[in-house]
Amino acid sequence: MALEVPKTQYNGKIREVVLGKGEKQVTAGGETAYPFYLFEGEMPRLPRIAMEVYDTPPEEWAEAALEPFAGVTDDPVAWAKKCVTDYGAELVALQLESTDPNGLDRGADEAAEVVKKVADAIDVPLIIWGTGNQEKDTEVLRRVAETCQGKNLIIGPVVEGDHKKIGAQAIAYKHTVIASTPIDINLAKQLNILLGNLGVPDEQIIMDPTVSGIGYGIEYTYSVMERMRMAGLVQQDDKLQFPIICNLAKEVWKTKEAHIPTEEAPALGNAKKRGILMEAISAMVLLLAGGDVIIMRHPEAIRLVREMIIELMAS
Amino acid sequence: MILIGENINIVSTTLGPAFKARDPRPIQEMAQAEIEAGIDYIDLNIGPARKAGDELMEWAVKIMREVTDKPLSLDTTNLAAIEAGLKNHGDGRALVNSISLDRMEEEFPLAKRYSAEMIGLLWGREGMPRDAAERGMIAAELIYKANEMGIPNEDIWFDPIVTPAGNVDTNQVQPCLEFMSMLQDIAPGCKSTVGLSNVSNGTPNELRPYLNRTYLMMLMKYGLYSAIVDVFDSELINIAKGKRPELVNLVHRVMGGERPDLAALDQEDAKYAKTVRVLTGESLYSHSWLEV
Repeated sequence: MALEVPKTQYNGKIREVVLGKGEKQVTAGGETAYPFYLFEGEMPRLPRIAMEVYDTPPEEWAEAALEPFAGVTDDPVAWAKKCVTDYGAELVALQLESTDPNGLDRGADEAAEVVKKVADAIDVPLIIWGTGNQEKDTEVLRRVAETCQGKNLIIGPVVEGDHKKIGAQAIAYKHTVIASTPIDINLAKQLNILLGNLGVPDEQIIMDPTVSGIGYGIEYTYSVMERMRMAGLVQQDDKLQFPIICNLAKEVWKTKEAHIPTEEAPALGNAKKRGILMEAISAMVLLLAGGDVIIMRHPEAIRLVREMIIELMAS
Repeated sequence: MILIGENINIVSTTLGPAFKARDPRPIQEMAQAEIEAGIDYIDLNIGPARKAGDELMEWAVKIMREVTDKPLSLDTTNLAAIEAGLKNHGDGRALVNSISLDRMEEEFPLAKRYSAEMIGLLWGREGMPRDAAERGMIAAELIYKANEMGIPNEDIWFDPIVTPAGNVDTNQVQPCLEFMSMLQDIAPGCKSTVGLSNVSNGTPNELRPYLNRTYLMMLMKYGLYSAIVDVFDSELINIAKGKRPELVNLVHRVMGGERPDLAALDQEDAKYAKTVRVLTGESLYSHSWLEV
C-alpha cells in the first residue's frame, strides 16, 4: 500500500488586502494554507518587503545600517526614492520618528506635509508608522489620512484606545489601517472586531502582532502569529483572517548585538555582517510564522530574504 | 448543588476596611445577603493573613455565629487562622479551604482533629497543573496521604483550579472539565468544587455572568458537587438549583457537538451557545465574543 502523507484540512482563507494605489499597488494575503505549505494549499503571492525611511536623520544607528543610505538620510523624499530606484523596494515604510512627544515632538501638520511629499514622489505603496503614543498618533495620523486622501496609505499603529478616531478617518479618506496589539491573540481578535463594528471594511485592515528580533523574544511573536493562522485557516475564525505586517527593522537594529562595533566585541564577529544576518534571519522567522509584509532596513538583508522566499516558493 | 458564597473577601473594597476596623455590621449584612440568595456555605476569605491571622479568623467566625449557624468555609493559607476558625465554628462541619501538597502534612491532621471537611486544591509542587492528568496525579497523592491519616474520600472536595477563559496561553478550561469527567474513577466518593468566577476574570463585568453560568452548566455535565459563586447572580443560583433544565440541556447539546441555528434560537439562548464554543476552545475568545 502506498504511503499517504497526512495533510492539514483547511477551511479558511486569508483575506486579500490591496495596499497602495495604481500600477504599483500590492495585494497581501490570499493564503489557503500555512506559510510556504505549497503542498497543502495556495500562497498566491510572494510575501512583500517594505523598506524603512525615517522622517528625521537617524541618531545612533549602526554604521552598517547607515552606509547604504549615505547622503539621503536627512531627506525622506530622497531616501524613499533611493529605496525604490536603487534597491527595488516594493513598498516604503515611513517612520514618523520626529513626531515623538518625548523627542522632537513635531506637529501633525508638518508631519503630514512630509508624508504627502514622500507619497507624491514614489509610486509604490506607502506605510506610515507613528510613534505608538496614542494621543499624538491620533492627531498625526488623522491629519495624514486627510492630506493624502485616496492614496490608500497603510497607517498605524492603530490600537484599541485610538481606533475610533483613526479608524473613522481611514474610512472617510480610504486608507488601510494597521491593527496593532501587544503579542496577544485574544486582543488581536478583539481589535479586529471593534474596527469592524466601527465600519472599517475588512479589505482595509492588516494586523500587527508586535514583533521582536531573534534573541529578544521572537518566539512569543512567532507563537501568536502561528496561532492567528491556525484560527484563520483551520478554525474559520473570520476575525483573524487578515494579512500580517511586521515592523521588524527597528527592533533588530536597536539591539546591542546589531550595534556594537567589531573592535568592542570581537567575539561576536564582524559587525556589519552580524547586523545584516540578525535582520535577515529574524525576517525569515517571521515569514515562516505567517508574515505577509515585513518592514526591513538593510538592502543586503533584504536581498538574502528575497532569495529565500523565491527558493521556498519554487519547491 | 452545594453553593458556597464568595462575597466575603478581605480584598473587597467595602468589606476589607470593615475587617481592618473590626466592624462586624457590613460583614454580617453580606452574610445575610448570601443566605437570602440561597447559599449553603459562607466562605470567609481573609487572605494569607500572615500577621495575627488567628485572631482575625476567630473574630470573623464569632461575628458569623451572631447571625447564622450556616457552615463556614475557612479560606486562608494561614494554618493558625484555620485552627482558630475551627475552634470557634460550633455545630456542623466546617470546610477547610484549602489543603494542598505543600502543606498537607499539617493541614490534614488539623482538619481531622476538628472533624472538618476540606477542599483539596490541585496545585502542584511546580505550580499550576498543565492538564487533566497532572490534576489526577496531584489528587491521587492527596488522597493517599489523607487515607493514610484516616480521612475518608467523602470529606475531600477537589478543586481543579479554574483559570480565566480570556487568556489563550494559560487557559485550563478544558483540562478542568476533563478532570471532572474522570474524578470518580480516580477518587471514588470524593466531592468537587470550583472557584467559578475565576473563569471570567479579566472579562468586562457586565459579560462575566455568561461565562460563569455557562461554565457551571458545562461542569454540571460531569456531576460537579459544589461551587464557590457570586451570590448576586440570581440566574446562576437558579441554574445551580436545577431551575433551568432547558438551558442546561442546550449547553450540554452544544458541548456534544450539536450546532443549533443561532438565528433561530432565543437571543439569550444564542449567547449561551456562543459561550460554550468559546469555552471549549472551538472559537477564540475576545471581549466581543457574544457579538460575533
